Amino acid sequence: MKTKRIIRDSVLKGITYIASFISIIILVAILFFIFAKGSKGLTWDFITGDNEPKSYTISILSNNELIENDKYENYAKRFGVAFEDSVNYDKEPVVKIVFVDDKSPLHSVIDSITGEKVSVSEGFYFTTFIEIVDDNGNTDYIYAREGAKVASEKLANAKKIKDWALSYEGGGIRGSIITTVYLVVLTLLIGFPIGILTAVYLHEIAPKNRFINILRSFIDMLTGVPSIIYGLLGAALLIPVSQMVLQTDSIGGNVLSGALTLSIMILPVVIKATESALDVVPKDYKLASLALGVNEVQTTFKVILPNAMPGILSAALLTIGRVIGESAALIYAIGTSIKDVVSIDGKGTSLAVHIWSVMAGENPNVEVATSIAIIILALVLVLNLIVKYISHRLDKKFKGV
Amino acid sequence: MMSEFAFKINNMNLYYGDKHALDNINMEIKKNEVTAFIGPSGCGKSSFLRSLNRMNDLIDGAKITGDILYNENDIYSKGFDVIELRTRVGMVFQKPNPFPMSIYDNIAYGPKRQGIKNKKVLEEIVERALKQAALWEEVSNRLDDSAMQLSGGQQQRLCIARTLAMNPEVILMDEPTSALDPIATQKIEELIFELKKEYTIIIVTHNMQQAARISDKTAFFLLGELIEFDSTSVIFSNPKVSKTEEYITGRFG
Repeated sequence: MKTKRIIRDSVLKGITYIASFISIIILVAILFFIFAKGSKGLTWDFITGDNEPKSYTISILSNNELIENDKYENYAKRFGVAFEDSVNYDKEPVVKIVFVDDKSPLHSVIDSITGEKVSVSEGFYFTTFIEIVDDNGNTDYIYAREGAKVASEKLANAKKIKDWALSYEGGGIRGSIITTVYLVVLTLLIGFPIGILTAVYLHEIAPKNRFINILRSFIDMLTGVPSIIYGLLGAALLIPVSQMVLQTDSIGGNVLSGALTLSIMILPVVIKATESALDVVPKDYKLASLALGVNEVQTTFKVILPNAMPGILSAALLTIGRVIGESAALIYAIGTSIKDVVSIDGKGTSLAVHIWSVMAGENPNVEVATSIAIIILALVLVLNLIVKYISHRLDKKFKGV
Repeated sequence: MMSEFAFKINNMNLYYGDKHALDNINMEIKKNEVTAFIGPSGCGKSSFLRSLNRMNDLIDGAKITGDILYNENDIYSKGFDVIELRTRVGMVFQKPNPFPMSIYDNIAYGPKRQGIKNKKVLEEIVERALKQAALWEEVSNRLDDSAMQLSGGQQQRLCIARTLAMNPEVILMDEPTSALDPIATQKIEELIFELKKEYTIIIVTHNMQQAARISDKTAFFLLGELIEFDSTSVIFSNPKVSKTEEYITGRFG
């Protein structure tokens, strides 16, 4: 009997070991995949750069003094710039700028077509030619197909660049990061007060009758609705509402309609979490307050709600995670166009939708997608820590421990 | 002229749904006296106490018939101001229940809700209440500490101070020492002795020695009925009803 039991117990124990082992392996594997694929593309330019490709046409005189540098192979001293052979998104061979010295005149040039100030930096490239004038006043052409080595040698002899069509590939995610922050902040600002006050009503003020019970189970049900259905609601109802609020007649969604949609999506979660947070506030506090001749409303807002705050904040954390990770609802409620300049009445994409955009094209770009995934992970982690800290501080304030 | 009675209770019945919790109670409670309610568990003494400041209103299905007059006003009449009643008739609970705030905020909470904002006035109220509750000397140098750091006995005295800050006329105490050790209990009893000079005190207790020590009048409840109500010395030395004597001598309960 005894050995049988020992065997059975160790088998059960063994199964729990195996299960946790599998979970950990999967988690580590996912993280490893994301970091292995994404960390290479994760540069400062990628995080802060524009997404939209740009092209400039510039002309400029060379420096009087030579700018010395021997770190780069294909380096033109007169302009302080280094080249490299590369290919662009469309797999065309291009000559790419890999280094621009601080003293280079290229840092401040004027676009000869738009008159816009341009700072040529790493990542710019050209696919056609550079028209140059040498010291003797002869015009020459540097063709991109001749490669980086020839380009640097010829440019080293140029007195003046007469005409140079430069491109910038874009692909940065700054706009999407900002849109995501907008969405999180707006969603919390709209969704949280409504959700918390609804929960306070349901928990403290509402009569205990059948209607309220039905309402409550309805809210329970809403937590399980797939987010794409909220997206449909957003597209059908909230886009017109947001257009009315913002007084715009632009077609399609905007950041506000996205935030409104997400606010509605998080409402049931906020209500449920706030209700459970209110549940754990000891009844004694309410009794003590009422017995002092303080009315129910004041008791709710001065004693019960502050005590539920740490719990409500944990709900905020869950919600922020959900907002950052949301893609399906936003595809309908804002759209998928990636923007570099973000405003409430403009379009934009969250990071999650950015991943979707990058992967949805003809050539899915896993590297970029995983780089964005790392940013999302980092954001969630930081928010996690912030909320934990605030919640800890509140706990300390209320419980004095 | 104000009546010499704080409460007059006439033909009062209390129901919790179908349950008849208190049966035809008649009683007059004098001002500036300590009145003790004794009786076995479930006899209705705590329910009766809660009826006096309408804390029973919070219990679903509680219904009261008959009159409870406080200063000659029927507290269950339509339009009676419950909030005002509860500031006049304060309550201290069985388990110390300070708010999870600082000691100062605990006391200032009630006055603040009444609209007192002047810091100076609030400070005076806090000091007076804590002195009356014999807690001032122990906490005067740490008013900003959390009330949760105090010992159980200190917390209960803080709750009494919190009630006193509202300037009540009557203090209801629902077994205020049952969660405390003997030394803390003794301090509370001494405090009650002091407070009865200025306040009317009604106390529910399980501890018959306590009732004998601190009260002027004692009421004995059994199964929802008021069996006997008389001065404490009569109840404990020469009760008129045999049930009272049986309970006091420990034959049941």
